[in-house]
Amino acid sequence: MKRFPTALLCFIGAVYAFLLLPIAIVIPMSLNAGEYLTFPPQGLSLRWYVSFLNSEQFTSAFVRSVGVALVVAVLSSAIATPAALFYVRHLRSGREKFRLTMLAPMLLPEVLTSIALLFFFNQLFFGTGTLAPLVIGHVVITIPFVFLTVTSALYNMPAGVEEAARTMGAGAWTAFRRITLPLVKPGIVTGAMLAFIMSFDNVNISLLLKPLGTSTLPIQLFDYLRYDFDPTAAAVSTISLTLTLSVVFLIDRIYGLRAVRF
Amino acid sequence: MKLRRWLFALPALLMVALFVVVPYLNIVLMSFRTPSATAIYGPGFTIQNYARVLTDSLYLGLLKDTLLYALATTSICLLIGFPVAFHLARTDSRWRGLLYAGVLSPLLTGVVIRCFGWIVLLANNGLINQLLGLGGLGPYRLMYNPVGVTIALVHVFLPFMILPVMNSIQSVDPRLGEAARTLGASGLRSFVRVLLPLSMPGIQSGVILVFVLSASAYIIPMLLGGGQVSTMPTVVVQQLMGSLLWPFGATLALVLSLTALALVALFGALTKRAMRRVA
Repeated sequence: MKRFPTALLCFIGAVYAFLLLPIAIVIPMSLNAGEYLTFPPQGLSLRWYVSFLNSEQFTSAFVRSVGVALVVAVLSSAIATPAALFYVRHLRSGREKFRLTMLAPMLLPEVLTSIALLFFFNQLFFGTGTLAPLVIGHVVITIPFVFLTVTSALYNMPAGVEEAARTMGAGAWTAFRRITLPLVKPGIVTGAMLAFIMSFDNVNISLLLKPLGTSTLPIQLFDYLRYDFDPTAAAVSTISLTLTLSVVFLIDRIYGLRAVRF
Repeated sequence: MKLRRWLFALPALLMVALFVVVPYLNIVLMSFRTPSATAIYGPGFTIQNYARVLTDSLYLGLLKDTLLYALATTSICLLIGFPVAFHLARTDSRWRGLLYAGVLSPLLTGVVIRCFGWIVLLANNGLINQLLGLGGLGPYRLMYNPVGVTIALVHVFLPFMILPVMNSIQSVDPRLGEAARTLGASGLRSFVRVLLPLSMPGIQSGVILVFVLSASAYIIPMLLGGGQVSTMPTVVVQQLMGSLLWPFGATLALVLSLTALALVALFGALTKRAMRRVA
């Protein structure tokens, strides 16, 4: 028996094309030998990648973005993992309140969070002269994602293995290190990778919190696109896309994309 | 002992308290401050900022436009997202994993890149106009106007509709629909009376997510609007970055967020009643 009418399948196919075409299109654009964003491409060339490598602004923004994203991934998982452990294992009362607090940065509009942090750092702290406010902003908005993936990994753990280890004489720390940690590691790694992607792609927080005169890759691209459409932008997009999608692929290999829920 | 366990949660709680709760309280405070030409804000407090936003037809018009964009985006996302979510939830195709990745990947691709993709497609000399040109049509103006902005908004936020609706449909037993059909309900009736109400929780969260996200979108109207389209977030960022009008910018941002929140609450209340009626 056919489960879906053909018309429905055609419609769904069109929606997938709508979802993926605008993303896929930047790849042939970046390999275009022509001067403008023409289609079909006028021959293959890597000249726009060379142009990217020769642009100090783009390369330094790229390096900065990768650095920030790595720091954010580490900090965010270091902060959110113990909170998830506490929530799943120890918290008895006020659980929903605690969960909402952890997820709050994800539920609040990013632009508003960004504005709130801009005021906060300028009034009460050292201003936005360094990368610290930007990193803190990224960590805050990525905490919910690590919290969610680690929480779900903890729930999916086979019941009783920890108690079994304890019964057989393992101390609390040993049981945690030898049993719990290895079992939830995929959750932590997935969360950290998500945090990496979120930070690497972030515009809303970075736009307001970046130090004057420096920028991250998405911000640099954003500024560039407001005035210029040459295929260097396509090369930059393709590089950034490749990085993001390889991380997605890794998540899928390690844990399965199904773990990524919103 | 109990106290030591709280230490686990302490760093995360501190982060949220210090960098979310305090800044949000501060932004509320900021919206009541007096504007000043020489400093970030003047001495004392005032409600003048709110009075200005709520009486100036320029800002009320912006608020209306922004909410209309959000409403259009949400409706289109629901209409085209529901069939995809339904298929993804019920299919046993071996491409299922790939299809799921197809919905998820756009979400994990930077919003600037996705806007750029649309610029390539929609520009006056873009792919779509070139293809239409081959047929002797166009060129049509597809971006730097509300059409382009709406298309990109739908594209960027569609996965936020598909994923929760899919989760919801997955938890509905397919046999319920079949039972309705067996008992004589038409396909449409079985959809309206069985599947739709039962997938309401997912629709609800999808609608709320998409609405809030598209009402606060900044990058998309900037890039696809090309300066021709103003929404509340673009004006707010302009006020903050360009003219450094912090108290007023804070007020604008809060009025937008609170209005969106009120509409979401209204929607929640309405759908709750609808859900109770069918249940």
